[in-house]
Amino acid sequence: MKFTIARNTFIKKLNAVQRAISSKTTIPILTGLKIEAEEDRLILTGSNTDISIETTISTNDEEAHLNIESTGAVVLTARFFGDIVKKLPDNTMLLEVKDGFQTTITSGASEFKINGLDANNFPHLPEVDSQTTITLKADVFSEMINETVIAVSNQESRPILTGIHFTIEGNKLSAVATDSHRLSQRVINLPEPIKMPEDIIIPGKSLLELSRMLDDEIDTITLQISENQALFTFDETLFYSRLLEGLYPDTSRLIPKESSTEMEFEAPELLASIERASLLSHAGRNNVVKLTINAANKQAIISGDSPEVGNVEEEVVTKDIVGEDLEISFNPDYLKDALRSFGHTSIKMAFTSALRPFTLVPTEDQENFIQLITPVRTF
Amino acid sequence: MDKKDLFDQITEVTRNTEDLLNKLHETQSAMVEIMEENAELQIENQHLRERLKQATAAENEGTKNTKYGLSKSLQNLEKLYASGYHVCNEFYGKHRQDEEECAFCLTVIYGDR
Repeated sequence: MKFTIARNTFIKKLNAVQRAISSKTTIPILTGLKIEAEEDRLILTGSNTDISIETTISTNDEEAHLNIESTGAVVLTARFFGDIVKKLPDNTMLLEVKDGFQTTITSGASEFKINGLDANNFPHLPEVDSQTTITLKADVFSEMINETVIAVSNQESRPILTGIHFTIEGNKLSAVATDSHRLSQRVINLPEPIKMPEDIIIPGKSLLELSRMLDDEIDTITLQISENQALFTFDETLFYSRLLEGLYPDTSRLIPKESSTEMEFEAPELLASIERASLLSHAGRNNVVKLTINAANKQAIISGDSPEVGNVEEEVVTKDIVGEDLEISFNPDYLKDALRSFGHTSIKMAFTSALRPFTLVPTEDQENFIQLITPVRTF
Repeated sequence: MDKKDLFDQITEVTRNTEDLLNKLHETQSAMVEIMEENAELQIENQHLRERLKQATAAENEGTKNTKYGLSKSLQNLEKLYASGYHVCNEFYGKHRQDEEECAFCLTVIYGDR
């Protein structure tokens, strides 16, 4: 195998593939990056047991200046190889594999010789043969991931909750994540109804990596699902993720249907108040702030009390309060995460009682995005 | 210190340790007894209190039993939850880590019916 390529393009593709490669894996060959040169294209593959990324550079790509002199394949340790390529002196580089997978990388006056591995030992990527293809706007999907992934559980003791649960009903794609303390649900409208055989659960970590790869240049992304794999395709890149097996708990019953107290406010205003109140709650032992709502006076007060440190009290700027008086305590970090995901928008918060979870929805578009937070019992 | 002294010393230390271990075992079993008695008394106390409540409730009839109007079985679940265990279908009987609240449990206890 022998080829020359523009280093800039190569680094960009290398960075994408490296997201899937972990230096801490029990399978040695997976610390490597597979490079495969065909007649008219170069294929880079990286994989850990959860996700696999494959990306292609074509000889037609003008920026890449790819010139393949002979075909072949090799696996190189990703960490060294990545560092070497990034530090090479010249704009172009030449890579040549000789007998025994001895690989020479030449650029300008510099020449590296590193030991490669046999590419035949690299695991084959899963085959996804599915009739259902879902096409999504990349920016919308990326937003959907970022809004729900905050509520994913990071406790491996409950594997099913470490994923985001996707379901399709008619032309509505919904994503739900919960760690049982809070929940985030986002629904997006698809241009046309799609039949998906079953609901799927994709690990939150995989989706986070995927959303980091979706930059402004990518317009649409397609999703295909097989029995235990999801395949996302965008540009010349294929992103495979394992699916989580099992039944996702029924989350629809968690969301209260009625409310006794409602409060409206601007997300950044409450976020700032909560951030101040959490300064003290973080210092104390129990991380809790209290929200006291006086409906008659249209007044909402946030307070934090840490016996060892001190206390804080602040009136929140609200747009409207209706319903009954209420006193409710909760973990401020959950509310911070939720409010950040809303960005600059007006929010409606709805409570049923001091013991039941409360919800946050954007005032506009109340149907499609909901965040739910469980209060803390303080008695 | 000659070898005999060393040996004597070790024998003594061994005996002391054995004594200590025996005492520890004794204390332990005493503690278990007390804890068992404590638990029994707690349960008895609770029954007596309920009895008392019933007696007083009979006097001024018509008042609902708890402030959230929970049934007896839900009160039991609430008690279990408050002592740090999940009562939801998903994680029933598991310990709640760091006393973190669980939305599933709260829905089971206080949810709409």
